[in-house]
Amino acid sequence: MRLAWQTVRHRRAAFAGTFVAIAAGVALVSGAGSLAASSRPQAPDRYDASTVAVHSPSVGQDEYGNPEYRSWTTPEAVRIASGLRAVPGVRAAVADPVFYVQRIAAGRPAGDAEASLRDGHSWPAAALGGYRLTAGRPPVRRGEVVAGDPACQGAEPCHGGASPGDLVVPGETVRVLTADGPQTWTVTGTADGPGWYVPADDALRRSSGVRVIGLLVDGDPAAVAQSVRRVVGDRGTVLAGSDRGALEPDAVSRVRWLGAQLLIAMVSLSVFVTVFVVAATCGLGAAQRRRETGLLRAVGATPGQVRRTMVAETLVVGAAAGLTGVPAGALAAPLLAGPLVRAGLEPAGFTVTAQPVAWAAAYILGVVVALAGAVVAAWRSSRVPPLEALRETAAERRAMTPARWLAGVLGAVGGTVLLALLPRVPLTQRTTAGTGAAMLLIGAAALLAPVLIGPLVRAVTWPVRRSATALLVREGTRTAARRTAATAAPALLAVAFTVLLTGMVATIEGVEGTDRAADIPAALVLAPDGAPGLAAAAVRGQPGRSALPTRVLVGHGGATEGLDAAGVDGPDRGAVLTPATAARLGLRRGDDVRLWWADGTAARVPVRAVTRDAPAGLCLPRALVREHDPVALTPVVLLDGAPVPATGARTMSARAYVQIDIDAEGRLVRLFLWVLLGLTAGYAVLAVANTMAMSTAGRRAEFRTLRLAGAAAGQAKLVAVAEALLAVVAGTLLGAVVAAVALTGVRDAVAAELQRAVPLVVPWGAASLVALVCAVAATLASVTPRLVRAETAGSGR
Amino acid sequence: MTMTKNGFAVELRAATRTYSVGRRAVTALAGVDLTAAAAEFVAVMGPSGSGKSTLLHCAAGLDRLTSGEVVIDGVRLAGLSQRRLTVLRRDRVGFVFQAFNLLPALTAAQNVALPRLLARRRVVPAEVTAALDEVGLADRAGHRPAELSGGEQQRVAIARALFTRPAVLFADEPTGALDAASGREVLALLRAAVNRRARTVVMVTHDPFAAAHADRVVWLGDGRIVDALSGPAGTREIAMRTAALEETSSLGEARR
Ligand SMILES: Nc1ncnc2c1ncn2[C@@H]1O[C@H](COP(=O)(O)OP(=O)(O)OP(=O)(O)O)[C@@H](O)[C@H]1O
Ligand SMILES: [Mg+2]
Repeated sequence: MRLAWQTVRHRRAAFAGTFVAIAAGVALVSGAGSLAASSRPQAPDRYDASTVAVHSPSVGQDEYGNPEYRSWTTPEAVRIASGLRAVPGVRAAVADPVFYVQRIAAGRPAGDAEASLRDGHSWPAAALGGYRLTAGRPPVRRGEVVAGDPACQGAEPCHGGASPGDLVVPGETVRVLTADGPQTWTVTGTADGPGWYVPADDALRRSSGVRVIGLLVDGDPAAVAQSVRRVVGDRGTVLAGSDRGALEPDAVSRVRWLGAQLLIAMVSLSVFVTVFVVAATCGLGAAQRRRETGLLRAVGATPGQVRRTMVAETLVVGAAAGLTGVPAGALAAPLLAGPLVRAGLEPAGFTVTAQPVAWAAAYILGVVVALAGAVVAAWRSSRVPPLEALRETAAERRAMTPARWLAGVLGAVGGTVLLALLPRVPLTQRTTAGTGAAMLLIGAAALLAPVLIGPLVRAVTWPVRRSATALLVREGTRTAARRTAATAAPALLAVAFTVLLTGMVATIEGVEGTDRAADIPAALVLAPDGAPGLAAAAVRGQPGRSALPTRVLVGHGGATEGLDAAGVDGPDRGAVLTPATAARLGLRRGDDVRLWWADGTAARVPVRAVTRDAPAGLCLPRALVREHDPVALTPVVLLDGAPVPATGARTMSARAYVQIDIDAEGRLVRLFLWVLLGLTAGYAVLAVANTMAMSTAGRRAEFRTLRLAGAAAGQAKLVAVAEALLAVVAGTLLGAVVAAVALTGVRDAVAAELQRAVPLVVPWGAASLVALVCAVAATLASVTPRLVRAETAGSGR
Repeated sequence: MTMTKNGFAVELRAATRTYSVGRRAVTALAGVDLTAAAAEFVAVMGPSGSGKSTLLHCAAGLDRLTSGEVVIDGVRLAGLSQRRLTVLRRDRVGFVFQAFNLLPALTAAQNVALPRLLARRRVVPAEVTAALDEVGLADRAGHRPAELSGGEQQRVAIARALFTRPAVLFADEPTGALDAASGREVLALLRAAVNRRARTVVMVTHDPFAAAHADRVVWLGDGRIVDALSGPAGTREIAMRTAALEETSSLGEARR
C-alpha cells in the first residue's frame, strides 16, 4: 500500500488521466444523483393545509407502471366525506373535484394550456390549500366564481391560470373556456391562491368524478390518518406525511420522469465510459512500466503482490478523485435546477436539496469503477516475468491479443450480417436493429484499430512521404500501433456516435413527418389554439370527423385494466372493438363490455361490432363519453368542409398539425442527443489527451535520441504533434466511414419499406466539431508534458 | 541460514537451456556443472553470447532450465511454483544487474528495505541505515534513484542484495556501466561481503580486473565451461587466459 502511494506520487502524470476520468464520473453521478434524489413526488401547493388526504382506490398499474385509479362517483365521494367528518380529529373533509378552466383574453385562451386542465376547483376545496377570500364573497350559484390571485402571493412561482394579464375585481364578469365551450362567469370574490373556484355542486357536475378528499385535521396527522384508514377501508387510500406525494398530478410526474430518463442516461453513459477510460489508462501505464514490474518480481514480489499494488494505486487515485468529484457534483447540481425546469425536465418550483446518500453512492461507485478499470491491467501486470526487468528497450508489445482479434472480428461480422439482414427485420424493430448493427461495427472498428491504423496512416501520409518529419511520424505511428490506436480509438468512437445518432435522428425525423401526415386522410384539420384541446362547442357543427378520447377501466376475467377509448358518433349505444382488443378482452359481438367510466360509474355496454375499420381499439358512443367524462377534450377534427370559427380552435394543414407533435418530440430527442454527445465528446477529449500525455511522457528517451540525432527541438515537438494529429485524423476517418456505412444501411432499409427515396442526412457539422475538439486536445496534450517536465526538473530535489 | 550437507550455496548440474526462436532452437547453455561453496566468490567470464547471463538467470531462479538441476541453499528449484520460487528469491537470493536495479518511485532506503517489505517483515530503520552506511551512502537514504549517480545506484543495489542476508548474491556485470573508480568501489563491497559476512557471490564479468577479485574464475564458451582457474589469480593471468580462449574459439570458427 505504501509502495502504491509512493508510485502514485512519483508518477503523477500517469495517473492524471485516471484521476480526471474518475473525478468527472463521480462528479456527474453525484450531481445527477442529487438532482434525481431531490426530484421527489410532491403534493401540489393547493393541498398545503391538508395534512391527510384520501385518494380513490387504485386498481392496478398502467403500461408505464403508474397506478391506475378508479374515480369515486359524486354520490360516493359525498358519502365518504360526510362519514369522515365524524372521525375524531377531522375538522373538515372536502371532496376535491378538478376541471378545465382557461381564461379567454382578447378572444383567445390565455396562459399555460397544460396547467389549465387542473385550474377549476370547488370553493370549499380552497380551504385545503389554506386559501382565503381577499375580497368579495364566496360563489353561491352556477355562473359565479371566486378568482384566484394571479400573483399567488408572490411566493411559489405559479402558472398564470387565473386571470393572466389584468386583475379581476369582484362584481365583474369574465370570459372563460371550459370543456363545454366558452362561458361568462360573474366574479363574486378573489382568493389568495391560484385557480378558479365555483360552488361545490357546480364543480362536481363539471368534473369526472372525484379522486381526492382532503382533510383538515387537528392533532397528530399520523394518528388521525390511522383512524381515517379504519373508516375508509378499501374504498380509498389514506395518504399522510411523505405518502402525500401520490397526490402529484400525472402531468407533473411525467415531467419528472423525463428528467429522470436523462439523468439515468447520463449516469449510465458516464459510468460505462469511465470504466473504459480507467482501463485504458491502467493498461497503458502497465505497459509502460513492464520493466519496473519485472524488477519488482525479481526482488521478490509475488504475482499477487504485484496485482494488489497495481489495484491499490488505482484505488488511491480513485479515492482521491472521489473526494474531488463528490463536492464538485453536489455544488453543480443546484445550478442545473433552473435549466432543467426551463427544458421541461423538472416541474416548476423544483429545488435541489442536500443528498448525502447520493453523494456516498457516487463516491462508492467511483471506487468500484476504479477497481473495475484496474483489474485487467493488474492481472496482466502480475504475469510479467521477472526477466522483463533486464530488457533494455521497451519494444512495443503485441498490440492485438487473441481476445481482441476475436471480439473485433466477431463484431465486424455480426454488424455486417445484421446490416445485410435489415430489410427482413420488421419495420418497428428496424431502427433498433440498425443501431445495434452500427454499434457492433463501431466497436469492432475500435477493437481492430491497431491493425487498421497502419494502412490508413500510410494512405494519409502518401502525399508527403518524402519529408523527414513525415518519415519519422509515419514509422513511429506504424510501429507503435497500440499507442496510435489508443489515441485514435476515442476519436473514432466520438465521431462515429455523433454521425450515427444525429444522422439517424435527422433522417428518421424527415421521414416521420411525411409519414404521419399521410396517415391523416384530411388535408385540413381543426386544431386547438392556445388550449389543451377542443371544447365541445368548438367541435359541434364542424364538417368532418373527430373522436373524443377518454380513459375507462375494463374488467375481464378477474382483472381490471385501464384502456384508452374513443367517443365517436354513431346511431346506437353500443361499443365497437378492433379484433385485437376484442381478442385481448375475450369479447365477441353480443357480449357486454364491463367498464367503469372516468366518473367512476360502473356500466355494461354491449359489443355491437368487431371490425378492423374501428378508428380506435375500443369505440364508445360520443354522447356517453361526454356524459361520463365531462372534462374530455377533442384533440383534432379532420375537416371535410369549411370550418365554423370557434374560440380556442384554428384551421391548419394536416402536415402542420403533425409537425407540432414531431417538433415537441424532436426538441426532447435533440436535447437528450446533445447532452449525451457532449458527454461522449468530453470523455473522448479526456481519453485522447490522457493517452497523448502519458505516451509522450513515456517517450522522453526516444525524443532525446531524436534530438541527439540532429533534430531541432522544434522538429521533435513537430513529430509528436504530427503523430497525435495523424492518430486523430485516422480515427475520425475510420469512425465516419463506419458510421456512414451503418447509417446508409438503416436508410436503405427504411426506404425499401416505404418504397420511396429517403434523403440521408449526415451531420457533417457536428462530426467535424467533435473531430476538431479531439484534435485540439491531442495537440495540446502532446506538447504539455514537456512543459510540465521542465517545471518538475527544477523542483525535483 | 541452513546449509546443505555438501555445503554448496548454489549448485548447477548438467544445466541446459534452449530458446526457440521461431522454428530454430538456440542452445544458450549446454550441460553446465557449476557449484559455489559458502563464502566463495566465483567469477564467470566468456565472450558475448556464450551464455553467461543465461547461466546466472537460471541459477538465480529468474529463468527455468530446459533440463538439468539447480539447487539453491539446499532447495531444488525444479517443480517449485511461481509463488514458492518468488519467495525463495526474496529470502535467499540477492541480485545486482548491470543497470536498472532500483524502483524509480522509491528512495534509496525504501529500495533497500523493499524485499523485507514484500516479505511483510518488520523493517528497523536503523538496520536500513546501517546497510546503507556499509556501502558508504548513509547520507543519501532519502534520495531517489534519479538523484544518484550510476555508481551510487549500484551500491544501493548491493546494499539491498545483502540486506536480506541471502545464501548467494548474483551479479551480472555490476561494473559494466561504471567508470573505473566506481567499479573498484563496487568490487571492494562484493569482496567485503564474502570476507566479512561470509556471503557467496557469483559474478558475471568481461573485465579481467573485476574477475581478479574472485576466488575462482570459470570461462564459458558456446554454453559450456571451457576453462577454470582456482585460487586467487592476477588480472594479467586472467586476461591472458581469456585472450588464449578467444583465439582457439576463433580458430574453431574458422575451421568450421
Ligand atoms: N530470450 C531469449 N530468446 C532467445 N535467445 C536468447 C534469449 N536469451 C538469450 N538468448 C541467446 O542465448 C545465447 C546466450 O545469451 P546470453 O545472454 O546468456 O549471453 P551472454 O554471455 O550474457 O552475452 P553478453 O556478454 O553479450 O551479455 C545467445 O546466443 C542469445 O542470443
Ligand atoms: Mg549477458
